[in-house]
Amino acid sequence: MANGSVKLDIQRLEAWFGDKQALKGISLRIKPKTVTAIIGPSGCGKSTFIRCINRMHELTPGNKVAGTILLDGVDIYNDMDSMDVRRKVGMVFQKPNPFPNMSIADNVVAGLKLINAAGKKELEEMAEENLKAVGLWGEVENDLKKSGASLSGGQQQRLCIARALAMRPEIILMDEPTSALDPASTAKIEELMKTLKAETTVIIITHNVQQAARISDMTAFFYLGELIEYDDTRRIFESPKSPLTERYIMGRFG
Amino acid sequence: MRLVSRKNANLLITLLSLAITIIAIVPLLWIIGCVIANGASAINLEFLTDTPAPYGESGGGIANAILGTLIINAMASLFGIPVGVLTGMYLSEYANSGKFSSVIRASVESFSGVPSIIFGIFAFTLIVTAAQHYTALAAAFALGLMMVPIVAKATEESMRVVSDDIREAAIALGIPKWARTVKIVLGVARGGVITGSLLAFARISGETAPLLFTSLFSFYWPTGIDQPMATLQVLIYNFALSGYPDRVLQAWGASLLLVILVIVINVAVKVVTRPKYKEGF
Repeated sequence: MANGSVKLDIQRLEAWFGDKQALKGISLRIKPKTVTAIIGPSGCGKSTFIRCINRMHELTPGNKVAGTILLDGVDIYNDMDSMDVRRKVGMVFQKPNPFPNMSIADNVVAGLKLINAAGKKELEEMAEENLKAVGLWGEVENDLKKSGASLSGGQQQRLCIARALAMRPEIILMDEPTSALDPASTAKIEELMKTLKAETTVIIITHNVQQAARISDMTAFFYLGELIEYDDTRRIFESPKSPLTERYIMGRFG
Repeated sequence: MRLVSRKNANLLITLLSLAITIIAIVPLLWIIGCVIANGASAINLEFLTDTPAPYGESGGGIANAILGTLIINAMASLFGIPVGVLTGMYLSEYANSGKFSSVIRASVESFSGVPSIIFGIFAFTLIVTAAQHYTALAAAFALGLMMVPIVAKATEESMRVVSDDIREAAIALGIPKWARTVKIVLGVARGGVITGSLLAFARISGETAPLLFTSLFSFYWPTGIDQPMATLQVLIYNFALSGYPDRVLQAWGASLLLVILVIVINVAVKVVTRPKYKEGF
């Protein structure tokens, strides 16, 4: 694979919670401007995997990470500051978590504002631009000063996506971003993901295999801390190589 | 048979708790009623704007003591609230289970149980004896120290209950720890911090013992923060024991003002802690 076509190169990644190993020798390469779905039963290491990519796994005392992760060829564990990694690799969580003490507009630009990365005028423009990007602008245009916590769950999640986008990340990690939302909000966010990949690279964990099939270009199936299969989403769903993958997709376990 | 006895037991407990509650409430209302009944007639424009009249003469006011209490409370808050907030922030966000942290935590705990007179003696020994005269600064120092544990505990508690989801959101944005702590966690906990600060302010507004050792009293307008200064608390103490009926009446009036100040603060706490946004949509 040519260098330009690999955004994230993960080599023999291992992770532990204390003595318990959660990831065992994961190697995979993620192409830029694609959506990669991570699927697998609960406890298979999906969340641990993406939390290694923005260096959040190491925050809990006792947790350990080994192996190499290259972002555009740069080792994120040895050659980058953890704060810089997290600015380049954004994250959206399962439960919408806007900052309740900030207005809608301030939530969007919180990351930039708190590190003094932009002036007032620029922040206002960034807020508008990113609220538009997530399709929330029309709904909140007149309520920008209201608390982010005053929005509905689906709107809050789109606000959190806008907040992550405002950092202009290279990669956006999403940890089951729609599992707490109603079907209409879920549809909006799935639609949004298709437009996101024009600008950025998306890695999404989902418990919903149909969602993975609908929105992703590549799919990785994890089981008991190991990467069982990683391929084009179509191939994974039409002709999986591993019988485990097939059984999971068919809904036989998990 | 059992049904009847259960109903009777229920009735008995209801009546008993009601009776005890009334017994507890009556003295409280009695105090407030007594202060209003005795103090209301003392309050007029001269009382609120003038300094005390010489002994034996009628009239005069307690304006210098009102101003003195406000000045000393403000100086105490200026010192006690920031120190308390930073201590609480340390305990909530930075302290671990190590020895140093547990010493700090235990100090804050026991600090809040120290009798107020001890703070007065401490400030006296440290500041008044060095300055060789009574000074309002020493009073503010003593009262400020008393505010620290109250504000620190309120800050720690309200920062602790901020959900980890919020902290993780900030970490994932690459916001450094100091900014997460000060601008996000403290920001979310702001209501609790303000409540704790107001309660600490109300608490020191009633303290008299530390002031007797420090700011003492003055019959004149405050001349400087390093000078003796009149306060409502010490004025009540002095005037109530003076034996002059006019002065005793003015002590009642000053008591009423103090009670009003404390009630106003408690109402402010209710307003601050009222939820901003209703649950659910």
